[in-house]
Amino acid sequence: MPRRSSLPVTFVVPTLVILLILSMVPTLYAIIIALQNRELSSTAYSWVWFSNFVDLFSDRRFLNAVWVSVKWEVVTVVATMVVAIGLGVLMFEVAAPRLRNVYCLLFIIPVLLPRVSAAFVWKFAYHPLYGIATYPYRLLTGGLIFDPLSKPSTALFAVASVDVWQWGLFFAVIVLKLLETLPPQPIEAARLDHAKRWQIHAYVTLPMLKAPLVSLMFVKMIESLRSFDLIYVMTRGGPGVATETLDMYAFSQGFIESGKVSYASAMAVLMMIATVITFTMLWKRVQA
Amino acid sequence: MRLGRIVAKAVLAFAGFLAVFPLLWTALNSLKNSVDIITRVPRLVFTPTLANISYILGRDSVITGLYNSVIACGTAVLIGVVLGLPAAYAVARYPNRWAGDIQFFVLSLRFLPPVAVAIPLMVIWLQLGLYDTLPALIVTYSLLTISVIMWLAIPAFQSVPKEIEEAAFVDGYGAYAVFWRIALPVAARSLIGAVAFSFVLVWNEFLIALMLSSSNAKTLPIVASELSQQGMNVPWGILNASVVLLSLPPLLFLGVLSGFLNSVFRQKKT
Repeated sequence: MPRRSSLPVTFVVPTLVILLILSMVPTLYAIIIALQNRELSSTAYSWVWFSNFVDLFSDRRFLNAVWVSVKWEVVTVVATMVVAIGLGVLMFEVAAPRLRNVYCLLFIIPVLLPRVSAAFVWKFAYHPLYGIATYPYRLLTGGLIFDPLSKPSTALFAVASVDVWQWGLFFAVIVLKLLETLPPQPIEAARLDHAKRWQIHAYVTLPMLKAPLVSLMFVKMIESLRSFDLIYVMTRGGPGVATETLDMYAFSQGFIESGKVSYASAMAVLMMIATVITFTMLWKRVQA
Repeated sequence: MRLGRIVAKAVLAFAGFLAVFPLLWTALNSLKNSVDIITRVPRLVFTPTLANISYILGRDSVITGLYNSVIACGTAVLIGVVLGLPAAYAVARYPNRWAGDIQFFVLSLRFLPPVAVAIPLMVIWLQLGLYDTLPALIVTYSLLTISVIMWLAIPAFQSVPKEIEEAAFVDGYGAYAVFWRIALPVAARSLIGAVAFSFVLVWNEFLIALMLSSSNAKTLPIVASELSQQGMNVPWGILNASVVLLSLPPLLFLGVLSGFLNSVFRQKKT
């Protein structure tokens, strides 16, 4: 590589400047709006400094949204990793190479779908009377009604199942590809020691893949923050506030119910601070 | 042990079935009249109709949404390619002490909650008089496409054997010529995968489009979701047809993206 070339500067600097402008302007603006009392209905506003933030902490709907978001994050990340590792190992064990390719193609399809499409597909499937997913239940119980999306206890899991349908199957493909990159010797050695199949994976292959699996989990944690589309289409945060995550609540405060843009922005700023701090720390640990 | 294998195969087959069946069922429903959809026992045998699909394709709002989606996503991806690929190449091939920080900065853009970006941008575009226009959407999406393309293209450029590029320098190629004539073509396969991925990402994007458009600049996902806002009274066949139309473009990239996955992991092996 030639040391003296203008290439790095001409290639990197314009792009970085544009990225910085495109990301910093909205970020700083979000903070400024959060310190004011703007509303959608009027252009007048004044500075109220931290009163939006103070209000948030006595807003029980906000605290509920925090709790729902945390539940969403934990449920989708854990379920995705369990499904991914389970199916990945199964494919590695019992599927012949040609069949593996078929499964890999099939398992990528759900994640490519727009979230809006996936949400619709399953909203129909979960329909209590005419849905295809509730049909087996109607058949077995002789026509009893099961409506997962409108029961507060099941709604979050029903929506989360769509997220896992998209990401768990996709990650199963990645887990399989990771298993395929492993050297065969340690597996052979364990087999000679009469280790059972599940023991080989629990004690040999999965520990060898710890680093990439942790990175995979990190990616899923970031992607799980994008739950809005699914929830907006499937439940709109309902029944009641059972599936109202932070972005759903911020959206409805800012645009549907009251048009309190500043209040919504204060929520968004808190989310931003929490995620940037959490993920920066996690990233440093993953890299270390 | 044999029983275990049979169970394992059955579980896999069921998962494969689950992966595609809901989508196939939706496609099937888009060919049905309402009578055949709203039944307690799902119907596999019915007289197919093209009425839903022709209704969807005949609606102005759907055609406008399709047009907006194609223009907004296409332009944003183009901007991502023009700005993202050269920057990724420079980071991959001319590492300096900021290379790690640049990579982390690009990734950290993905941590930003979409609402946190969308709310201030809505106010900004309103003040500039650009709210509900395609240029506003394109600029916003460019942030997504540039950062994703850069993030995925850095490893793609790194995996080009250095020897090829060094040989080109010896032959008297300049730094820019090496990028154009050597690095780009050699890494092309992975790069196409990265670009396709960024397209799927913005095509599927919903929240930002929802907040930045009110009538003129609505993209296809917004139009599709609005069809359902009229309640479940809208004929289900029409809704299913709109879901199919929305899902087709990303699925066109299935081959490219699965090839991209394969090439990423083949590199890791060697």
